[in-house]
Amino acid sequence: MISAREKVSNYVLLTLVAVCVLFPLLWIVGNALSPSVSGNLDLGHLQWSNFVTAWKQAGFSQYLKSSLIITGSVVALSTVFAIMSGFAFGVLGVWGQRLLFPVVLLGIMLPMETFIVPLYYDFQSYGITDTYQGIVLAHVGMGVSFGAFWMRTAFRAVPRSIAESAAMDGANSWTQLWRVYLPLAKPAVLTFVLLGFTWTWNDYFLALILVSDPAHQPLTLGLGAFSGRYLVQINMLSAAAVLISLPIVVLCLAFQRQFVRGILSGAVKE
Amino acid sequence: MSSTTVSTSTAASGAAERDQISRPPPRRIKGAGNGSRPWLGLLYLLPALVVYVLVVIVPAGQGVWLSFFHWDGVTRATWAGFGNYTGFFSDPTLREAVTHTLYFILFFSVLPIALGLLSAALASRKNVRGAAVYRSVIFLPQMLTPAVTAVVWKRIYAPNGPINSVLRDIGLGGLARGWLGDYTWALPALGIAGTWAAFGLCMVLCISGMQAIPTELYDAARVDGAGAIREFFTVTLPGLRGTLSVVLTLTVLGAIRVFDIVWLTTRGGPGISTITPTIVLYQRAFANPDIGAAAAIGVVLAVVSLIVTLVIVRLSDSEAR
Repeated sequence: MISAREKVSNYVLLTLVAVCVLFPLLWIVGNALSPSVSGNLDLGHLQWSNFVTAWKQAGFSQYLKSSLIITGSVVALSTVFAIMSGFAFGVLGVWGQRLLFPVVLLGIMLPMETFIVPLYYDFQSYGITDTYQGIVLAHVGMGVSFGAFWMRTAFRAVPRSIAESAAMDGANSWTQLWRVYLPLAKPAVLTFVLLGFTWTWNDYFLALILVSDPAHQPLTLGLGAFSGRYLVQINMLSAAAVLISLPIVVLCLAFQRQFVRGILSGAVKE
Repeated sequence: MSSTTVSTSTAASGAAERDQISRPPPRRIKGAGNGSRPWLGLLYLLPALVVYVLVVIVPAGQGVWLSFFHWDGVTRATWAGFGNYTGFFSDPTLREAVTHTLYFILFFSVLPIALGLLSAALASRKNVRGAAVYRSVIFLPQMLTPAVTAVVWKRIYAPNGPINSVLRDIGLGGLARGWLGDYTWALPALGIAGTWAAFGLCMVLCISGMQAIPTELYDAARVDGAGAIREFFTVTLPGLRGTLSVVLTLTVLGAIRVFDIVWLTTRGGPGISTITPTIVLYQRAFANPDIGAAAAIGVVLAVVSLIVTLVIVRLSDSEAR
């Protein structure tokens, strides 16, 4: 029971906050549709072709290809690693886990900056800077800690009795993992995939350091290069920014429920 | 990949707080698995472990080692002892960067949490229609890549951007300026952009936390005649202790390491007025190589991050007792 006055002030405040958040975004969308290259809004003459022009001028097809290859490989590999290591720590137990588990967890707290410089020189000596393999390897390696932690939590929530009955039916560990544990942990896997996708797609720092060859750079770096080159063409730059944001925004809006539920269910389980 | 991690662990500790009869000791390692097939487990872990050691552990060790040398990446490295670490006191650029970190903690952590808490409290009230819409809108900036956030705010703060237009329209044209190019204003301007980007996540996590608070507590508060504000301070805030320590950890760590948004808008300038430790690290490592110094910054960032995490966890634990 909330009084009418309280209710109104509630809405007013919320709307105020929402407007403050939306305004910069709407401004950019307005710029993206405007014919003016100097960033003046001209909403009387919407120019939808800006998106096409910007895409071509910025050479986004190549960047998009790189982003898709990098993000796709990273998410696939990270997910497999997360499932296997989570299963190892959460169900099978691991030889030396008193030492190994804290070492793996360390990666969650260790900032990338601590190892990025030596990593760059290591990769240089392996000859994998400026390659997809290099940046994918880096992303996957850095995702191991969180993945192991996350899936361990999910698998430990699976009732032991279910797995035991499967074991009595003669299922080996591999079958148990894929037939029993994984189906029950699906929401956690989905959340992990979503998070991994978002983080990899949005990454800038790692790609900035490890990939200086434009042919292998992801969209985030492409946008940076574009904003350097086309400083004057505000409408093109805005259109490019809108294009880059769309996939993630659509994904997050579509899966917001799973996202939050995944985080929540992961939280309740441990 | 840290954002949800901490959230799980602390939300779990929140659950532990709720059944206050016995606080189960952390059974992190002991309880893991049935331990009956540890060699098989190692086999499953091995591929991930190898990659992890190669990408994280070995380079981290090398980073510590490198931080004790002077090295330009080409010629022979020379022993530096703690020389690279004393730079934090003697090097004016680095000192400036460390000072800025405090600003960033205010704008990337304190303000977003306050705003996130407020909007979460508003959006999760009973009978609020369209709460999901508000939530999605406020979460929107969180989904953008920093490269896009930078484009957005460069426009907003541009000499002919909306802020300056408004100032000119209301006759305060004298105040109009290129905000990100201004020695005094660039830092707070960036801070506001950071607050804008960060508080959606704070809100979403707070809402999750609030949903875990039993509704009976609210009913009881209402019966006692508590208004919205007292209800917030007596029921909501205490119930959110676990969530808040998570959010605080996440955002403070983010503030300490901030790079993308600053690099993409001001590159630390004008002058060094918005420089951050990570930007100094990047410059030392790649622009004008002094790799030992860069490595030392990386090591200090790690140590500070660990201390911050421990302190926040400790604080929220001791308050719980």
